[in-house]
Amino acid sequence: MEPTVAAFDRHALRATRSRRDGWRDTWRGYRTAARLGWRVEANWADPILFLTYSVAKPLAGALILVVMLEVVSGGGADEYRAFIVVGSALWSFVIAGLSGLAMSVLDDRERYRMLKYLYISPTSLAVLLLGRGTARFAMGGIGAAVTLAVGVLFLGVPFDPAVMDVPLLLASMALGLSGVIALGVVFAAVVLQTRQDSWSYPEAVAGALFLLVGAVFPLAVLPMPVQALGLVTPLTWWVAAVREALFPDAVSSIAGPGSLYTRLTGVTEPDRWVLLICLLATTVLVTLGAMLTFRVSERRAKDRGLIDQTTGT
Amino acid sequence: MSLPSVPAIETRGLRRVYKTKPKPIVALDGIDLEVAPGEFFGLLGPNGAGKTTLIKILTTLLLPTTGTARVFGFDVARETRQIRRLMNIVAGGEQSGYGLLQVREQLWMFSQFYGLGTREGWQRVDELIEAVGLDEQRNQKVSSLSTGQRQKMNFARGLLNDPWVFFLDEPTLGLDVSAARSVRELVRTWKDALPGRTILLTTHYMAEAEELCERIAIVDHGRILAIGTPDELKHRVQSESIFRLEVDRLERGAGALAGLPGVVSASTATDGTTPAPDGVQTLNLILDNDTALGGVVTALGSMGAQIVALRKSEPSLEDVFVELVGRGFDEDGAGSNGHHEAVAR
Repeated sequence: MEPTVAAFDRHALRATRSRRDGWRDTWRGYRTAARLGWRVEANWADPILFLTYSVAKPLAGALILVVMLEVVSGGGADEYRAFIVVGSALWSFVIAGLSGLAMSVLDDRERYRMLKYLYISPTSLAVLLLGRGTARFAMGGIGAAVTLAVGVLFLGVPFDPAVMDVPLLLASMALGLSGVIALGVVFAAVVLQTRQDSWSYPEAVAGALFLLVGAVFPLAVLPMPVQALGLVTPLTWWVAAVREALFPDAVSSIAGPGSLYTRLTGVTEPDRWVLLICLLATTVLVTLGAMLTFRVSERRAKDRGLIDQTTGT
Repeated sequence: MSLPSVPAIETRGLRRVYKTKPKPIVALDGIDLEVAPGEFFGLLGPNGAGKTTLIKILTTLLLPTTGTARVFGFDVARETRQIRRLMNIVAGGEQSGYGLLQVREQLWMFSQFYGLGTREGWQRVDELIEAVGLDEQRNQKVSSLSTGQRQKMNFARGLLNDPWVFFLDEPTLGLDVSAARSVRELVRTWKDALPGRTILLTTHYMAEAEELCERIAIVDHGRILAIGTPDELKHRVQSESIFRLEVDRLERGAGALAGLPGVVSASTATDGTTPAPDGVQTLNLILDNDTALGGVVTALGSMGAQIVALRKSEPSLEDVFVELVGRGFDEDGAGSNGHHEAVAR
């Protein structure tokens, strides 16, 4: 029934169809945004083609690295095979996480021209973007799983479920993915300020990070200042912790001769607790930074009229 | 029904400056506006007048540079959450939408963003699809819709939460005559069904503003030049009533009418001396107000004259704009005349 104006109380006044609030609404908004993301991301082509693309890309990357390793080492570097496969597999998440939220901003604003309608809905922009980014994240997960499976089945990666450290794996995945999402939020905040051609920024940065977080080679081969940069990135600790959980005998990407970590601590291989604590600390740091960056960016975008700008031709 | 003390929309000294090079653009220059709950209010002005900027601020998309803007008393800069539950917007002239989704699916997703339950959302979407006349397109992909159908879908999206304040930013821009008419009809039907709801319409189509709005603000260069009902605005440029009559057998000429109460002037093209071959003459009357016309009609009857046709000459809103600004809408490329005719059809 239409409320009468006589009963007016502006705080009680809500659009009759929009009366809920709180976590249920937030969850509903997130879930729907994730569904929207999946429909938009996965619907553009034949699902088989889509799956092939999302799997083939990370797999090809891992294969190239493994072949290079085999050639350079003359087939005598078995311990590095697991090192590279794990790093490459996790990188599917990183690319998806970093670019997913940013691409959602660009797509919704410039291509579908719906960002302003999403923005003025009661669901917060951050929740909407996290939901939209979830689809890409899921695709990253598929790529990671396939890369690991191919590594174990066809590349001779020595995987033994009996020695796998499940608690460490679960904890490090939870923290690591949170860190990736936080970095994704930072990039969403950045592209909120930029033109549509900035779609390549997240992938470019992901490519740079690939080299300095120990994904494909130990930090020790890098100059000390770059190692320092790597050590304050949660991705470094995440990759190392997952390696430790899956392949306890794998080479450490953080410590060892020539590494900054060993020089500072005197330790040649950080134990699981050190890995987790450092991962937690850097993730919290990056998450707080991401929240602040996003808030500032949203405010600036509102101030400059960027929420509904279209910069395409 | 007593009105609440809080206006549906209220702005005070609202100013918005875009920092552009080589010099900043002042889009809004001290807007003071008050729209009552339940009112259908129009902002009429040429392109670049600041209408869309005002709507962006009121819908929490843009921050004001200075001044305040409130929706039902909630500040647009600080109380966005409260405002977003109360309002919605439909803009015209844009091709927005997730082309790959079906109409029904896209609308349902928005219902979820507005907090409706899953089933309630589907139910509401189906109601609105029927209300806006998209029954046949409900399962079509958004990309396959025509411009008019897409705008109907946008209306369905805008009405999902039954907003207390509905912002319409040039809603018929780019639509053909039939689609524009159907959109106006839709707005009117919704407003009639829910009289307590407020609508703020921006348009540069004068006939549209006149047809739909109870009150209109004429804006140009970020300023409100005049506010009033369409009749009040027109009265600003023409205080007298002007009539043109085709009269047969007006043998004593117009001079006999000049002394009647309320008649400012009465004249014919020929002044009665050389009647047209068929005997019908054109009589131009300027009266103090419409009520003086009765006396003129009686006098003509007693003179043996017969009125063949009667037409009242009224100023248009464009005349009001020209009077206020010193130039027409067309000079800004708004093309209002063409649409005026289209609306009239």
